[in-house]
Amino acid sequence: MSDGEISRRKLLLGGAMVGAAVVTGAAVHDGELGMPSQTIKGALPWREGAADAPPIATGTDYRFFTAAEQAFIEPAIERLIPPDDTGPSAMQSNVHVFLDRQLAGPYGRGDHFFLGGPWPKGTPEQGYQSRFSPAQLYRAAIPAVESYAKSQHDGKSFRELAAPDQDAVLKALESGEAKLEAADGKGFFAMLLQNTLEGYFSDPIYGGNKDMAAWKMIGFPGAHYDYREWVGRHGERVPYPPVSIQGRPGWSES
Amino acid sequence: MAGKTGSALGWVVVGMIAAIAAALLLARPSAAAYTPMSATTLSTRALTEVVPDSIANAQQVRLGQYLVRAGDCASCHTREGGGFLSGGFGLNTPYGTIYSTNLTSDKDAGIGGWSADQFYAALHDGAAPGGGALYPAMPYPYTTRVTRADSDAILAFLKTVAPVNEHQPPNSLSFPFSVRPLVHGWNLLFFRSGEFAPTAGKSEIWNRGAYLVTGLGHCGACHTPKNSLSADKTRQALQGGTLDQWVAPDLTQNMRTGLGSWSVDDIVEYLKTGRNAHANAGGSMAEVVAYSTSILADADLRAIATYLKDQPPSPEVGASAPDAAMRRGAAVFSDACTSCHMEEGAGQPRFFPPLRGNAVAQQTDPTGVLHIILAGDRTAATAQRPSALSMPAFAWKLGDQQVADVATYVRNSWDNRAPPVTATQAKAVRKSLGLKKERLTEDSTDR
Repeated sequence: MSDGEISRRKLLLGGAMVGAAVVTGAAVHDGELGMPSQTIKGALPWREGAADAPPIATGTDYRFFTAAEQAFIEPAIERLIPPDDTGPSAMQSNVHVFLDRQLAGPYGRGDHFFLGGPWPKGTPEQGYQSRFSPAQLYRAAIPAVESYAKSQHDGKSFRELAAPDQDAVLKALESGEAKLEAADGKGFFAMLLQNTLEGYFSDPIYGGNKDMAAWKMIGFPGAHYDYREWVGRHGERVPYPPVSIQGRPGWSES
Repeated sequence: MAGKTGSALGWVVVGMIAAIAAALLLARPSAAAYTPMSATTLSTRALTEVVPDSIANAQQVRLGQYLVRAGDCASCHTREGGGFLSGGFGLNTPYGTIYSTNLTSDKDAGIGGWSADQFYAALHDGAAPGGGALYPAMPYPYTTRVTRADSDAILAFLKTVAPVNEHQPPNSLSFPFSVRPLVHGWNLLFFRSGEFAPTAGKSEIWNRGAYLVTGLGHCGACHTPKNSLSADKTRQALQGGTLDQWVAPDLTQNMRTGLGSWSVDDIVEYLKTGRNAHANAGGSMAEVVAYSTSILADADLRAIATYLKDQPPSPEVGASAPDAAMRRGAAVFSDACTSCHMEEGAGQPRFFPPLRGNAVAQQTDPTGVLHIILAGDRTAATAQRPSALSMPAFAWKLGDQQVADVATYVRNSWDNRAPPVTATQAKAVRKSLGLKKERLTEDSTDR
């Protein structure tokens, strides 16, 4: 019975959390939880020239990761996607820029996650279960991973390790064998791998996939989004070069 | 014009011309800021409401209601959120903003107190009660052709329109255009009053079409090119005009820029539904279709089409596009345009306009095609085609050179031909449309 009881303390805490979310919460967007319903009458809303334009990542400087964090992230993602004959590495594709911009923005803040309590341990099928926003998880996990690496490898930082030792640290995180002090190492690894793949293959407007190299590697044409005219043309190679939401070199060459 | 009175009048005209020329030289272009189009829902039920027999002159009022549709009075004399025909709609002109007048039956702010003679004088002579002149933003060079019987019927209907006691805001015209009496000089130079006279030897339906097109329908107010004082270049009637960042296309029988490849049925379908196999009605024409042509009798649409199919073609304009621009334009087109307009410009007729043979794309003046690429466009919603399809804006995505190149490509592919477009032209339209700064939808996320 006592498990099912809602204690007075829990109830007060929960109420305080909800209140804080309402007061300090980021703007609620159309389609998100908490957005009031709208009634549209007459004509559908339309305004000349208006666009739901995506924010375009600029520059290759760091805006989220500290120097200490960079010292882990750069070699770590380079082990997840190393350079080889097939295609560029994560660093060559600017995945670190993608991660940095994502963690500095709404994704990092967890704007699209429900981060309120309670926080019972979820099942793997339930996906990401944490009170941390992604940015908070990276911030907490990286120093913990460094401590773990030092404890396992004679006080050497992750960057100082040879590639096989770096792999050993990452594998220990992935399997859950590495128990971190302040963060869920397995959850962090899963997120880092997921985000690295996203940065490698997503549209270059988000900072990664430099020169659409990952798309060229796998023959993906990118944001060319209609192929009706090709449905009946079997066995032919689709000639379209990859194109980003922001275009491709062919749009501008002389 | 011989004799003493003739030469005296001649001197007056010369004086007026000198005055206007001087005024023009002093004038500085101060076009009103462009107002972006948005989804408008004007209160126009009164346009189609059945006039009850209980009204004494029901027959005449019904005719007047129909003629108000034919004249598309509502588009300019009703503003978003305002009462039907209560005016206050701002027209952007090269000289500033002119606000439309209140046509409701209100005795103070509207025309409730006007006599039939006064109303006829406004339509026929551009004269306001008391002797003042209307600005030719009111298309009296066209409504002058309206018969007295039709004028009286229009007034009879307007007197049944619910009164709205609202005066339009004062016009914001630059000097010297703010000096209303100068319009008398403009009238002397450019305005010829006179009711419509049928052309002998032409069919009744042709003459009905001519009455509507050159009269109440005032098609040439947009579709005829203008001189430096915004008067029609009458020798180029219906050859296409540019106004308020739009191009009203050529309506002559030119095969590229005009209606040469459209049949009478095509024109009727376009005017009735807002779409046909060649084009969708967008821009200001969407309003004309919504508030006028889609609610006219089929016989009148056929008459309009018959008259338009008899207009001599405008002259051909030669053009050749640079190879590099065509290559870049093809790349942009393939990635950004083909999902609706298809690789060969075939489009999805009646949904997404074909660009092969497209008249708007091939207008000599590229303002219209640049406007559509940069800001997007929206098709008229009609009873037959109620979905107001829209094209997205590309201003946020394409640079000036890319906009120019894709326009050049569309204007010169698949047997299309029109002068190439420069980045400077694209930049100018972007600036006029106020699109130099990204304009975001209200629900843009992640910003």
